[in-house]
Amino acid sequence: MTRIIEIPPSFDDRAFDQFAAMFGTWPPTERLLFDARGAQWASPYGLIAMLTAAQALTDAGAERPLFTAPLNEEVKRYWARTGFFRHAADFFEIHGRIPKAAEGPGDTLLDVTPIRAMDDVHKVVGDVPERAAKILQDQLNIRASETMRFSMALSEACQNIVEHSGTGGWVAVQAYTWRRRLGRRVVVIAVSDGGIGFRRSLEPAHAKRYGERWGDGAALEAGLIQNVSRFRDPGRGQGIASIKRSVDHWNGKISIRSGTARLAIVPAWDDDAPLAEHLPFFPGAQVQITIPAKDAPA
Amino acid sequence: MIETFRLHQLLRETVSAPYRCLVTRPTGAAIRSRIEQALADSACTTALLDFAEVEVIDFSCADEVIAKLVLAQHSASGAFVVLQGLSEPQLEAVEHVLNHRHLAVAALCDRPGRPALLGCADADARTAFSAVCDEGAADPDTLATRSGWTRERAASALQTLASLRLARFLDGAFRPVPVP
Repeated sequence: MTRIIEIPPSFDDRAFDQFAAMFGTWPPTERLLFDARGAQWASPYGLIAMLTAAQALTDAGAERPLFTAPLNEEVKRYWARTGFFRHAADFFEIHGRIPKAAEGPGDTLLDVTPIRAMDDVHKVVGDVPERAAKILQDQLNIRASETMRFSMALSEACQNIVEHSGTGGWVAVQAYTWRRRLGRRVVVIAVSDGGIGFRRSLEPAHAKRYGERWGDGAALEAGLIQNVSRFRDPGRGQGIASIKRSVDHWNGKISIRSGTARLAIVPAWDDDAPLAEHLPFFPGAQVQITIPAKDAPA
Repeated sequence: MIETFRLHQLLRETVSAPYRCLVTRPTGAAIRSRIEQALADSACTTALLDFAEVEVIDFSCADEVIAKLVLAQHSASGAFVVLQGLSEPQLEAVEHVLNHRHLAVAALCDRPGRPALLGCADADARTAFSAVCDEGAADPDTLATRSGWTRERAASALQTLASLRLARFLDGAFRPVPVP
């Protein structure tokens, strides 16, 4: 038996729950076919969600999933340019002609990149500043001096994979226009892993004080709102706190999904629910940081 | 004596790739360890951490390199830690981790030879720090006269400075931390 995982035509954070629901129980017992033939677009979050799922299936000892590439040539070329297919080939049995990857598109700040060790974090943060400065300034009207704040947020988000997930993960950063949701340019940092998730990471040190309330939602609240860490060191937990400070500074949004819950710090320009629980299960943690363009100075 | 640690150089010796970003806890811990080893063999009064040519320092690395080094030197009554060459965003990250741990350090920012106080210190301690740095060594009576405070208030502020290792008590007076 093969279970079909139909990739949403427009695959971003809002379509993620639809994607997660198609897996049924985790890990699925059937072989999976990721059917992307109808895909028209995917955000960085969507692209790394597919890789996260495939990697988690590998970690769970599941049979290598199948993947049918998008039929739309432009979509396929774009996914190739982001590096998606290069990494997908390691985890999927891919069906359909895949174009050779060209140079990265101008709006890609960071291609789809695996994060497996701290050296990967160094590489990501070391490679980004020049491109980040140009895109933040030219497209978001954010001063080039903000690049360090951006690099810090990227660094802390990626480190969390290595420190807390118990496995590897993925990061991608891209600038694009949110026509419907915001009507302006945004930079989106997407970070995802298929590891143990917030609840299992924080459970030994923090579940007790939550009592019966403990679950994926409470664990996200502890991590994102209260800045707690599984480590006893009082200096810990500042990574997410620093990301929140930067997101607030940019009037941006941070959303973290883990297990069956999603918690977001929602700015006035978005209508997302701060907390969503009882969602379809998906392993690990998926983070999206959205930085909107500032109004251009007069 | 002042021993200078160039963070950019230590970073290059710690990670194989030629990056200029001080990021991740393991990198921070490795750099701190090298500084602590050097300080253990040194009779220096001040450990000057020079951030020139460092592009980015994240909170995790700042906590490992600076906050934990300051804590260790406090508990061992070791060298005074002074920072130099921090950019504005770097200052913000460092200040945040110091505040989180209720620590403070002297940092050379705008005015050469005139340190600024970074981190967690109350208003009286900040005033006392400025007074000692700008006008020289002071005992409680001297500071009380300079600032118009009571002797008790001045004594308390100077004691706070000493306990934060932002001044040293020598020959009957509180003196500035030695800086270049």
